[in-house]
Amino acid sequence: MRALRIAATGMSAQQMRVETISQNLANMNTTGYNARRAEFADLHYQQMARPGTINSADGTILPTGIQLGLGVRPSSVTVQIAQGSLSQTGGDLDIAIEGEGYLEVTLPSGQSAYTRDGGLKPSADGLIVTSDGHPVVPGITIPDDARSISINSDGEIYAYFGDRVEAELLGQFTLAGFSNAKGLEAIGSNLFLETTASGPALVSTPGVDGLGTLRQGYLEDSSVDAVREVTELIEAQRGYELNAKVITAADQMLSATTQIR
Amino acid sequence: MDSAGYTTLTRLSGLNREMQAIANNIANVSTTGFRKEGMLFSEHVSALGRDEDSLSMAHANVRLTHAAQGPLAATGGTYDFAIEGEGFFLLQMPEGQALTRNGAFTTNEQGELTSHDGARLMDDGGAPIFIPPAARTISVSADGTLSADGEPLARIGLYMPEDPLTLLRTNGVRFIPTGGVVPQEGSVLLQGHLETSNVDAVTEIARMIEVQHAYTTGQKFIEQEHERIKTVISTLGR
Repeated sequence: MRALRIAATGMSAQQMRVETISQNLANMNTTGYNARRAEFADLHYQQMARPGTINSADGTILPTGIQLGLGVRPSSVTVQIAQGSLSQTGGDLDIAIEGEGYLEVTLPSGQSAYTRDGGLKPSADGLIVTSDGHPVVPGITIPDDARSISINSDGEIYAYFGDRVEAELLGQFTLAGFSNAKGLEAIGSNLFLETTASGPALVSTPGVDGLGTLRQGYLEDSSVDAVREVTELIEAQRGYELNAKVITAADQMLSATTQIR
Repeated sequence: MDSAGYTTLTRLSGLNREMQAIANNIANVSTTGFRKEGMLFSEHVSALGRDEDSLSMAHANVRLTHAAQGPLAATGGTYDFAIEGEGFFLLQMPEGQALTRNGAFTTNEQGELTSHDGARLMDDGGAPIFIPPAARTISVSADGTLSADGEPLARIGLYMPEDPLTLLRTNGVRFIPTGGVVPQEGSVLLQGHLETSNVDAVTEIARMIEVQHAYTTGQKFIEQEHERIKTVISTLGR
């Protein structure tokens, strides 16, 4: 009885949906997190009688034939790229990206990774790093004696020294954009790696080439919408139960089959 | 030999197929753009002999694809499109064209609009759609015109199969138009929405219970027929 196996594919698909939803809800407060959505596609169709073939019994042409579906499979888990709301933190080195783009950081291996988590800190020697300590490209160092720093929307970072009125330019942040940001590989800790699917990083200054601008003193919230997630959760749960019902019914039919004598 | 048992068996094997179709519908209750299937039973009349009546049997021989519009769900995605009305999106796959109502698209590494598994979406002229990387806002109007920052780029094509009866269902919520496609006008395209599966859980479960009971009835019938023949044989043989 294939119905049993088909319903099992349905149950495992709904289970994967619940896992995706729990990951989203768990990251409700993760800076710059984008919600994921599980997508499904139907499985291969068994062509029991292809449409257009000649019916062997009376020579007529079958108009639609018999094509029986074999269930469902998860086709992708897509990142829903959406701007999260900005919350004010007042931190000198908290920067939110308004619009598209990622900050580039250097991993200990020397590889580049990309993040939208703009909660930056100075390291022991003044270098601007992420909360995990990865240096932000291009390496900008804040001198010890800087009184305050200011970052404008184009990513230029200025420092004020002593009682001097005019600021000194320390450097400029760059942003990286991708043809297909959904194709980035998530490696955890809010970091992403470039892949063949994402296309190469197009590094430019904030505000040009379709990239977003920076805002000092703000952090981007997670774009998870709790109401939506919980609605989806209920749907997934009911979908799971429906498939379980099919298993029970198919089982009872199978048991009727074994009773034929 | 009496034929009643065989007639019931044709019915049971048809119900078995229908159960498979229902299981597939329910398994795809969350599949974007899925079209539910049904079974059509037909009578199959078989001649038994010169002096006897013909035997009528059941055949689950034809499958139906229900073209009813599925409910639309708001997703807010830039490249999530739903069709209101008739028509399909046209995809270019390595093995040829395919039609789909699954409007969840994304851009690939070259900036072309593709389905989530990489099949390219075609415009109204049958060419791929390219999204410039520097575009900030992408909007799609009701007639499918796609604009980047207010500048029209391309028009998403909607198509119908030339002969709907020759559509071949294939994996990935797709239909292969074996008889070619024709453009479809007059349907509305919605951005930020997806068409959900048109499977109605209540109807499916009700149909499932019906199939299950019909199957058990058939099984009981065969059992009673067995008893009847047994009684006949034992009575006559006494």
